[in-house]
Amino acid sequence: MANVIRVVRTYTRGDHRGLILLDRADIKKALKDPHKWGEKYSLWVTYFCTGCGIIEIPPVITARWDAERFGVKPMATPRQANLFLITGYVSVKTLRAIIITYEQMPDPKYLVAFGSCPIDGGLYYTSYNTINHLDRYLPVDGWIAGCMPRPEAIFIAVTKLWKMIDGEMVDGYKRYRKNIDYYRKNQERVLGREFIESIPPPVTVET
Amino acid sequence: MMLVTILLISFVGAGVTYLVGKSIPRLRGIVASLVALLPLILLAFLYGRVISIDYASVPFLDINLSLRLTPLSWLFAVSIVVLGGLAVIFSTGYMRGKERPDYYYFMMLLVNGAMLGIVLSGDFFSFYIFWELMSWSTYLLISYRGGESLGAGMKYIIMSVIGSSAMLLAIASLYVSYGTLEISSLATALQSASIGYALFALMMFTIAFGIKNAVLPLHTWLPDAYAEAVSPFTAVLSGMLTRMGVYGFLLIMYAIMGFGLLDMFSYGPINYNIILAWAGALTIVIPTFIALLQNDAKKLLAWHGIGQGGYMILGIAFGSTLGIAGGIFHTLNHAIYIVLLFLVVAAVEYRTGGKRSLDELGGLIKRMPVSFVAGLAGISGLIGVPLTNGFVSKWLIYKTLVTEQYPFLAFAALVGTWGTILSVFKFLHNIFLGQLPEQYKDVEEVPWTMRAPMIVLTILIVLFGVLPGIPLRAISAIQTHLGMTPLQTSLFGMPKALGELNTLNIFFAVLAAGLVAYAVFSLARRSKRVSQYDNYAAGARVPVGQYQHSVKFYDQADRLIRPYLRDRIDDFYSWIAGVSTDFFEQLGKIYTGNVNTYATWIVLFVAVLIFMGLLGWKP
Amino acid sequence: MDRLVCGGADLHGAVGVETMTTLMRVVWIIVLPIIALLISVLFLGLFRKVTARIQRRYGPPIYQPVIDLVKLFTQHSNISHGLMFDAGLIIALAGSVVTVLLIPAGGIHPLSSSGDLLVIIYLMLIPPIGMALSAGASGNPNASLGVSRKLILALGYEVPFLLVLLTVMTYTETTSLLNVVQMQAGSILSWGVFRFPLAALATFLILPVMLGVRPFDIIGAPQEISSGPQVEFGGKYLAFATVEHALHIFIVIALFVDLFLGGATNLGTFFLKMLVVFLIGAFIGAVYPRFRIDQALRYCWKWPTLFALSGLILVVIIGG
Repeated sequence: MANVIRVVRTYTRGDHRGLILLDRADIKKALKDPHKWGEKYSLWVTYFCTGCGIIEIPPVITARWDAERFGVKPMATPRQANLFLITGYVSVKTLRAIIITYEQMPDPKYLVAFGSCPIDGGLYYTSYNTINHLDRYLPVDGWIAGCMPRPEAIFIAVTKLWKMIDGEMVDGYKRYRKNIDYYRKNQERVLGREFIESIPPPVTVET
Repeated sequence: MMLVTILLISFVGAGVTYLVGKSIPRLRGIVASLVALLPLILLAFLYGRVISIDYASVPFLDINLSLRLTPLSWLFAVSIVVLGGLAVIFSTGYMRGKERPDYYYFMMLLVNGAMLGIVLSGDFFSFYIFWELMSWSTYLLISYRGGESLGAGMKYIIMSVIGSSAMLLAIASLYVSYGTLEISSLATALQSASIGYALFALMMFTIAFGIKNAVLPLHTWLPDAYAEAVSPFTAVLSGMLTRMGVYGFLLIMYAIMGFGLLDMFSYGPINYNIILAWAGALTIVIPTFIALLQNDAKKLLAWHGIGQGGYMILGIAFGSTLGIAGGIFHTLNHAIYIVLLFLVVAAVEYRTGGKRSLDELGGLIKRMPVSFVAGLAGISGLIGVPLTNGFVSKWLIYKTLVTEQYPFLAFAALVGTWGTILSVFKFLHNIFLGQLPEQYKDVEEVPWTMRAPMIVLTILIVLFGVLPGIPLRAISAIQTHLGMTPLQTSLFGMPKALGELNTLNIFFAVLAAGLVAYAVFSLARRSKRVSQYDNYAAGARVPVGQYQHSVKFYDQADRLIRPYLRDRIDDFYSWIAGVSTDFFEQLGKIYTGNVNTYATWIVLFVAVLIFMGLLGWKP
Repeated sequence: MDRLVCGGADLHGAVGVETMTTLMRVVWIIVLPIIALLISVLFLGLFRKVTARIQRRYGPPIYQPVIDLVKLFTQHSNISHGLMFDAGLIIALAGSVVTVLLIPAGGIHPLSSSGDLLVIIYLMLIPPIGMALSAGASGNPNASLGVSRKLILALGYEVPFLLVLLTVMTYTETTSLLNVVQMQAGSILSWGVFRFPLAALATFLILPVMLGVRPFDIIGAPQEISSGPQVEFGGKYLAFATVEHALHIFIVIALFVDLFLGGATNLGTFFLKMLVVFLIGAFIGAVYPRFRIDQALRYCWKWPTLFALSGLILVVIIGG
């Protein structure tokens, strides 16, 4: 018997309205692929406040919306995290830190863009300092639209992420390895060759 | 005859090394090492024998100078030869390129020979000669480099001379009272001495050996002396030379005076042993905590030298079977790991161009892994991690203190471990762990002549930790010879009556657990090695050369305890020195260089004499 | 002063060790660490659940640490900063496992004849040193800061803890933990907490410090020093560090139960007593903010040390 949670007052459309599957206690499924089971129900988030959207995260991890009941915890160092929420707009300065942090995270890792700004620039699309399309610089696995999205949207995203992990549809980190030249070209264009050459090379891994 | 040969090899060999060094420099190191290690072969043949021979006579004093070998002398002699030999072998690499190497080897071998003479002497006349020989050759080696070392050497020699004078006073009075200086005859003669006289002799010797072994409050010469001496010599200094004080204590307290006499120095519950034990306990606690405030690697280890000496005095003064065995064993163990640690510091100095400040090094594990493993073994022994030799000797001391119901002494001994842990971890971390500075990224491991002694000592630490029965058998022989019930141990465990310690079981358990952990570790994915610059820095690039936390390592604890740990005794002695210097400077104003003044002094003096003669005083 | 050594193991032949055959001993040597691991991982999950409930939220399920460990262990990539980085954790884990084997856990004590209480408190030094070496090898100043805090905190709680242990050893006139446990057998009134109450009070006051719960979770303060020694630990390294932390909690609570709550004769009662002690620690840890390291040091050296010292003086004077 799988557990079922009811999500109330959701702001998204699609097939998530109402019931989400939480099959944490399904031992057979867990034993079949323990890695996926661990991956899904122990998503640790890098606690990096990249922009204004971070204001929506403390309510999520505190008592009212309680993300910990799904295993989602904020971690201080990227070495221990596997989910990176880009919360809010990305400025050029922040992109440097985001790239270094993303590359320090171990595989498998998921990058979720939170807010409208990483999608297409959002509110600041005419600014000289905003990165308008984040997926040209880093591989984004999912988007959460809104300015700002509500905390429930983060839960929707997490549950959708579970489904995608089950279906092996999130391979952002693999795409990053394969197309590293493409991403590096774009990063160099914005951040300069000197910076790109000074950061340590990303750890390559065979999956 | 063998004993005389041993001493002859040591002293003549020193001179031969000097000459060989002057003529054929390439052979200097080989000859020195041979001279240092040759007595080991002779000593190996002498195991278990008790010899006493006369080798000279002093007609005007009507005494014969003798040498004797007892189990106690044997253990100390073997330690001296082995550790001194390893230090000499290490120096062959270390002294390359330094100035005045012939002089250095000559002095090192002379010190070794003098220490052998001390432990092998059978009468107090030879004992005193060799003691003085050792003292001033130490002074010459401490002030080898000149400059600041001269001050350190001066402090050392003044305190050492005070100690030697006290000892000379006692020896002279013993000669006058009993007409002989033979140790064995004095042992029987002193049994019938008056308590006051025996106490006087004991106190004089205690001052001498206390200064040598740096028991609080007589320890102030040690930190500067160790820091300024040449590093391989500091190893010998800390390992064996200072422990000549321990040998002296054992000699005077148990070989000569014996338990019966010692028991008589009591006033109610307080007696000499307890006072000495408390001095030892204080010597453990205060210096090990002062050590964690130090920023100079050698000063840090020097303060530990003082602290660990406290364990030896505590064990020996306590007087129970376990205590004395623990104290002697700790002397041996301490010698091994402190020599190892000073050699590690010397190795680091050799490769980094003389750096020994803990604020400027870091990350050397990546370039000098063998030195790191040696350093790790050394500090494990110093802390007393189980499976190292330091643990077994400390366990013996703790066990006796707890079972004999002296919990406060036991607490002092136990809390010293924590000061040790903090300070030696700072030592290891600031030198070997953390980020490697750019200027040291090409240093190499030390050459083989320097690696071999470190590896040998590391093996000894673990060997004596897992199979403590090997040295404990020799120590039981010492205890039997001194007339007390010996410690009975098997190769790796204590018998049931003593309580639980089975080092071999623990060793196998740790090994098995480690193998299982390693197997589980390898089951997961292999890890990829990353450079030290691929590090968490809050999203920024790692700032090169500025990403190491080693300065003010224990800042918060430092601020809390530093006000209580000033070395006030050192301040006190410096104050006395200052006052005396002023006084004597004032006194020196008598010499004005003016003949008229001298004439006045003479006239005045004659006047005083006449006056006193008138009063009826006859000189 | 030629004192003969009095035996500290007179009760040894009476109960326990001799009745365990070698085969049973080997079985328990393998099984006991596994049981300790399961119980301590359960405790970790229980801590998170209890904290959550106190904070009026649901909290993760009790088996959440299992999920975490599975994820960490099966992670696709691990990074290492060198051989010492790997070896330190393995040494730490080996030390913890051996310490677990030496502490009597409800009638099971496979190796307690190889080491007494002095050996146990010295074996408890190996895991922190191993972790400190690993953290130092990572080359991150946050890790070094965490290690310096860890060692200072340990200095803090060891001073009263050593006094407490000496009180117990002086009162019971033995250094063997097994004998201490056996002396508390009988009625509840012969438990350590009633026989040497000041020592028990002192240990209770430093229990949060030894467990590393708030207000003393200074070592791995995520907000201050980015997880301290664990800053570069990911994947299997973090799994090992978590397991080592869990075993450390087990060892501390087992020691407390053996010294003051009379141990137990079977595993069930033993774990029940451990649960009670752990819950008290969890309740304390759920409501406090964090101290600074110098505040923690002052705390440890004030009242707990005072109580422990007076307990020791009392035992020495009144007799043991």
